[in-house]
Amino acid sequence: MGRFRLPIAVFAGLLLGILWQSSVLGQGLVGHEATAVPPTTILGFADINYVETERTVDEGFVLGQLAGHVTSGLTERLTFFGEVSATARPDEYDIEVERLILRYDFNDQFKLSGGRYHNPINYWNTAFHHGLWLQTTVSRPEMIKFGGRVLPVHFVGLQVEGGFPTSALGFGYAGGVGNGRGDVISRGGDAGDTNQNRALLATIYSRPANIFGLQLGGAVYVDKAPAEAGFDVDEQIYSAHVALTRERPEVLAEYARIRHEPDGGGETTDTDAWYLQAAYRLPLPADAFKPYARVERIAVDEGDPLFEPFGLDYKGYLVGVRYDFASLAALKLEYRDEEFAEVEEREKSLWIQVSFTFGEH
Amino acid sequence: MRPRRPRHPGTRARLRLLAALAIAGSAWALPGAAAAQGTGSAIAIVTNPRTSTSDLSFLELRKIFLGEKQFWDDNSRIVLLVRAPVARERDVVLTKIYRMGEAEFQQYWIAKVFRAEVSSKPKIVYSTDMTRELVIALPGTIAFLPADEVGSGMKVLRINGKLPGEAGYPLQ
Repeated sequence: MGRFRLPIAVFAGLLLGILWQSSVLGQGLVGHEATAVPPTTILGFADINYVETERTVDEGFVLGQLAGHVTSGLTERLTFFGEVSATARPDEYDIEVERLILRYDFNDQFKLSGGRYHNPINYWNTAFHHGLWLQTTVSRPEMIKFGGRVLPVHFVGLQVEGGFPTSALGFGYAGGVGNGRGDVISRGGDAGDTNQNRALLATIYSRPANIFGLQLGGAVYVDKAPAEAGFDVDEQIYSAHVALTRERPEVLAEYARIRHEPDGGGETTDTDAWYLQAAYRLPLPADAFKPYARVERIAVDEGDPLFEPFGLDYKGYLVGVRYDFASLAALKLEYRDEEFAEVEEREKSLWIQVSFTFGEH
Repeated sequence: MRPRRPRHPGTRARLRLLAALAIAGSAWALPGAAAAQGTGSAIAIVTNPRTSTSDLSFLELRKIFLGEKQFWDDNSRIVLLVRAPVARERDVVLTKIYRMGEAEFQQYWIAKVFRAEVSSKPKIVYSTDMTRELVIALPGTIAFLPADEVGSGMKVLRINGKLPGEAGYPLQ
């Protein structure tokens, strides 16, 4: 299973121990020896928040996630990637193995890996992972939030991936076979496939050579997921994204349609989810500031056999400003106006977040 | 579904106060560091002499330095060396190949490694001598040097068919 209960001190100790080791090995240069084997690299991310809200959630100071990421070459072509997070809960810290991947790189066009991934059917999920400092906003879009049910965040199985980076269109792809959703549909079937029906995914993307920072792509995901009512549901997810990651401007847009059909027949439902986010880093001398805004929507189809019990409808927008007060740390101020399915009126929140990264840079 | 908690009468007032503080705080603008501009002799792109490639297009060079092309055409792994900050040749490469400032360059590689798109970030070298030693010793290596500091035992690549000093060379 991906979830373990460990004392936070053990987790922190492990992280610090690996950090010390990486300071020696981080360059892959020990003494006068040099090697083409990828060195061990450790990265850490953390965030501290303050929230005032009209929502029925706890306010005040909120510790976010402490996430540790390790990359270590076992041979010149075989590499291990791992990501572990510690998340503050009211009575404990949740320790979670977010990613655990062993990959063999045959060449640029073909790489084979196995393990636990962030599902590549969503751009945000694989662009920012648990590194909140990397993303412009305080939190993820609702459609791909941590612990969310709309899209399967994790994928346990095998993947092939590759690309043709020097082609004019910068074409790339990934394909996978895995366990699909677990009995708890927000989780990734870490201990095995709950219904003996493997999930399949395929993604393609383009990074055109003449437009730096632009990525366009789409994905298909097919699975049989367990519904609360006790039967399986055929699930098909189609998604598309456009990401322009230059700072002036930054534009991210994603759309997903999730189609469900009860196993053995029944009404087919289509749930739609999307977001549009834009940001712009100000010119000198105010270039430490990046104002941003996002609008998003989740529209669950009436009678959806997988989603309806959870009340996942959502409408929201947010505006904020990111202030990069240090090269590896940022302060974000964010105002949100949201409408959740279980509440009849819109609710407003103000978030202040300090996020940062540390480790071998 | 959680029961709805009654709102505290002061919540809206606190939200307004914090929003005002946020707007006031955003007025503090600190000057950012401008990317340094390189001047002087051309920058040579050098490789280990056993590398089969002798000529790259500027697009291929850029994809290699961005970590998107990670293997040479003979299927051996590309090992990228980048000079530590302050060196003039680093400023030229960041400006002309990466089109990034220092902060953007640093964030780019943190993200690239974190996304598992590369197995490692570039190896950092701290002197011309260290660059020369590693390029000669380590198969698959690609690096950059001022053209007048290129030593024997390394291969200088043509970029778009041009060598440093020739008209049209893109890293003058």
